[in-house]
Amino acid sequence: MPSKPLTIGPLHFAKKGDAAAFLQAILHRYDVGDKVSPADEQVLRDALALHPEAGAKIGCGITHFSVRSADFGTKCFWINRPDGTTEKFSYKACLTG
Amino acid sequence: MSLIDLQAWLLNEGIKTELDELTKRTVVTEIDNLVPSADSVAVVEIDWSRLLLAGSILARSDQRLHQEAALRIATGAVTLSTSDPVKDAGTVLLGKLSNFRAIALAGERNLLTADLDGRLGMSLRIEAQRRQMDKAILVESSGRWLQVNDFQQRFWKDAADHRWLSASAPTASGKTFLVLQWLIDQMRSGKARVAVYLAPTRALVSEIEGSLVALLGKESGVQVSSLPLRDKYDAALAGGARLIFVFTQERLHLFANILGDAIAINLLIVDEAHKIGDNQRGVILQDAIERAARANPGLQLVFISPSTQNPEELLADAPEGVEVAAIDSDAPTVLQNVIVAEQVPGKPKLWNLSVRQHDAPLPVGVLRLASSPAGLRKRLAFIAVAAGERGGTLVYANRAADSEEIADLISQLLAPADLPDPELLELADLARKGVHPQFRLAPLVERGVAFHYGNMPSLIRLEVERLFRSGKIRFLICTSTLIEGVNLSCRTIVLRGPRKGIGHPMEPHDFWNLAGRAGRWGDEFQGNIICIDPHDTNAWPVGVPARSRYPIKRESDAVIELGDGLADYLDRRATATLPELEHSDQFEQVGSYLLATYLRLGSISQAALAKRHDPAKVAKLDGRLAAIASQIDIGSEIAGRHPGVSALGLQRLLDAFRAYEGDIENLLPAAVDSQDSYDRFVTIMRRINEHLFPAFMPDGLIPLHALIVVQWLKGFSLAAMIRKNIDYHRSRGRAFRLPVLIRHTMELVEQTARFRAPKYFSAYMDILNLHLRGIGRVDLIEHDLDIGTQLEFGVSSRTLLSLMELGLSRMSAVALYEKIARDDLSKEGCQAWVAEREAQFEGMDIPAIILREIREKLLPESSEQAATSTT
Repeated sequence: MPSKPLTIGPLHFAKKGDAAAFLQAILHRYDVGDKVSPADEQVLRDALALHPEAGAKIGCGITHFSVRSADFGTKCFWINRPDGTTEKFSYKACLTG
Repeated sequence: MSLIDLQAWLLNEGIKTELDELTKRTVVTEIDNLVPSADSVAVVEIDWSRLLLAGSILARSDQRLHQEAALRIATGAVTLSTSDPVKDAGTVLLGKLSNFRAIALAGERNLLTADLDGRLGMSLRIEAQRRQMDKAILVESSGRWLQVNDFQQRFWKDAADHRWLSASAPTASGKTFLVLQWLIDQMRSGKARVAVYLAPTRALVSEIEGSLVALLGKESGVQVSSLPLRDKYDAALAGGARLIFVFTQERLHLFANILGDAIAINLLIVDEAHKIGDNQRGVILQDAIERAARANPGLQLVFISPSTQNPEELLADAPEGVEVAAIDSDAPTVLQNVIVAEQVPGKPKLWNLSVRQHDAPLPVGVLRLASSPAGLRKRLAFIAVAAGERGGTLVYANRAADSEEIADLISQLLAPADLPDPELLELADLARKGVHPQFRLAPLVERGVAFHYGNMPSLIRLEVERLFRSGKIRFLICTSTLIEGVNLSCRTIVLRGPRKGIGHPMEPHDFWNLAGRAGRWGDEFQGNIICIDPHDTNAWPVGVPARSRYPIKRESDAVIELGDGLADYLDRRATATLPELEHSDQFEQVGSYLLATYLRLGSISQAALAKRHDPAKVAKLDGRLAAIASQIDIGSEIAGRHPGVSALGLQRLLDAFRAYEGDIENLLPAAVDSQDSYDRFVTIMRRINEHLFPAFMPDGLIPLHALIVVQWLKGFSLAAMIRKNIDYHRSRGRAFRLPVLIRHTMELVEQTARFRAPKYFSAYMDILNLHLRGIGRVDLIEHDLDIGTQLEFGVSSRTLLSLMELGLSRMSAVALYEKIARDDLSKEGCQAWVAEREAQFEGMDIPAIILREIREKLLPESSEQAATSTT
């Protein structure tokens, strides 16, 4: 089956794997505990819009994104909301949604 | 025959047989369940007049063996004889030995018939009076005379006209008591405004602080504090209440950092000063002393150490022209009997006991055990229970886990009390609520048995010590924390193959430091040290150690003398990747100290240490240090602020910050209550490992270390941290054993949150702030409480810190803070909060010991003890 192109905001990827690699590269640029930079934040906002549970994940809004640890020693992106709550999300879910 | 020859002859021949008999008889009175051995039934009559005359001749000697014999004769006469004239003569002999506390004890125990003075006759009374006046010192500030022994008198006299003083005497010589009296006298008579008492462990800090507060009493005009905070210090310098700080060496550095080195200490007392030779922390102590002496060249300095060979070694660095004095005493104050216990062949329940003499062991009898002691722990437990049945018995265990097991075994052999003591029940309640409902200490304490090791919370440990002293805890099983400087004495010590640390047989001087705890001067006439299986070379590789005194040697000198190891390490330090340095503890601290010294002076040949070493070696080290120093631009001040942390590591960290390409804010720790703080700490620990020093290893355990640090900073109670650790294991399906998990959590709190994290995070923040200033981001520098202080005390809120400033232990402060809504209360605010709710406390389910502490410290008017102390 030919791979499908994918668009995240203004970014166009010939196939989903390229988009995954792009987002993974962003993730690995950060240490756990880091706040995501404004440039990367825009990419994440666009990616999150594709998430199947985007509404629930965003909740009352987004102040910023951070990279934190997840299960089994891995790390992932987290949404920090205005009410102080946080929610993690998988960039892979954004691509399959 | 000269006097010296006569004394030697008396001991070796003249009274040898009778002295042996006396030894047997005194030992037998102190050991329970002992059937006297057959040969001791053939009684040798004791000729007291002959012995007492010999004792008076031996008392004139300054040799320990002679003094010991004189003390044994005097003690025997007072405690064993039924004749008044013999008892009276024994008392006079005790007076000759300046052992007034033993005389007082004989009086308290009604061993002496009233009106001794009347019976002595005029000439002896005149002599006794002269002796009492000779052996008394005047406490200037109170005008009171204090009766002292020879060591104490020499200390008091020499301290008056020598600026640097080093005093050494065996345990139970009244060192600490006298030094505290002297310190208070100095403060009250206005000779010092700010004094620091340095103690090696937090346990000893608490103990000394408590003693000072009790000795000072109410409205003394002298404050005591163990918190490195500057308000009381500023007040003292401005003419307010004089101040005694009680610190560990790390806290003194922390305090000097807060004051920016302009630290005006008038008087520094270094307790357990021989610990200047300890691996890793010895050099931090040396650095702290040198730092205080540099800041005030007029500093008065007093070193005290137990039974050291060369107390004068500590005076080697005194500035030129300063009067120095070393006081060395080896005189015994109580009898200490080393007894060896060997199983009767084929009869595991019967054990032969012999007193070890200088030539041959002296059999005293057979000890009968209640059960057969299969295994080493059972041997310790059963022999302790049999021999030390009447209590005051200390058992030495090599590991914390062993101490719990042995305590459990002992408790099973004791009949439960019909009505357990209320104080023991309170301690059990604190153990259940403060640690865990299943913490093993709780049911043991209810039976009068306890264990004691270093990582236990201080409030519990102090209460264990207090109840052991009072006799309510009859058996205490301890680890090496006790020889690390807790002043706790006992009637009997039982041990088998003692180790210090993991696997290292105890050095003879450590053994004797521990053995010195047997015999409470003023409470007992003698103490017994029972050594099990003396001929088992696994237990005792070189046998039961002969009496020995500690040779003082600075850690820095010892490492420098190791040969080229240090120079090679310095080379490697400059080039190797840090994870390769994981096992470099031997050299890192001393290397850091030398590098900081080099940066300050431009050459270590200018430092005091240079005169103690071969100039060629010093020059070689100077060369290596010069090569490293050329790579460093952080400045000597920052290097000096972090003892034991290499300036090269600090520089590497600064370089890493400079090269960092991400958002600068990511380098800062996040507020501890924020969601990001845990992960931020994980990353900071990785940076520390990578650039500063591999302090949090292995890498896979960093998340656990970070979790503990965050929970500690959030002000979680130990009980909550243990609960969370259990939940963590359960949620991940990991097996755990509760006693191990409890001990491990305590260890992580003490070793990571309270030792490593403050040391390395403080350095991290200092370098980060230097970088932030360098790039014009001063706006990011926090001016709140520094992270080192936060970690040392495990607080991040103003309210918690206020509670601790008022003197509460962390355990009590956290228990109370759980009930207080506001996180910004001042000391006065906390006091008001407590005063308003005092009547409601009983319903709050707070352990009684914590409530007692809260009332003592926060409601001074409702307590007999004035709240002049801050813990």
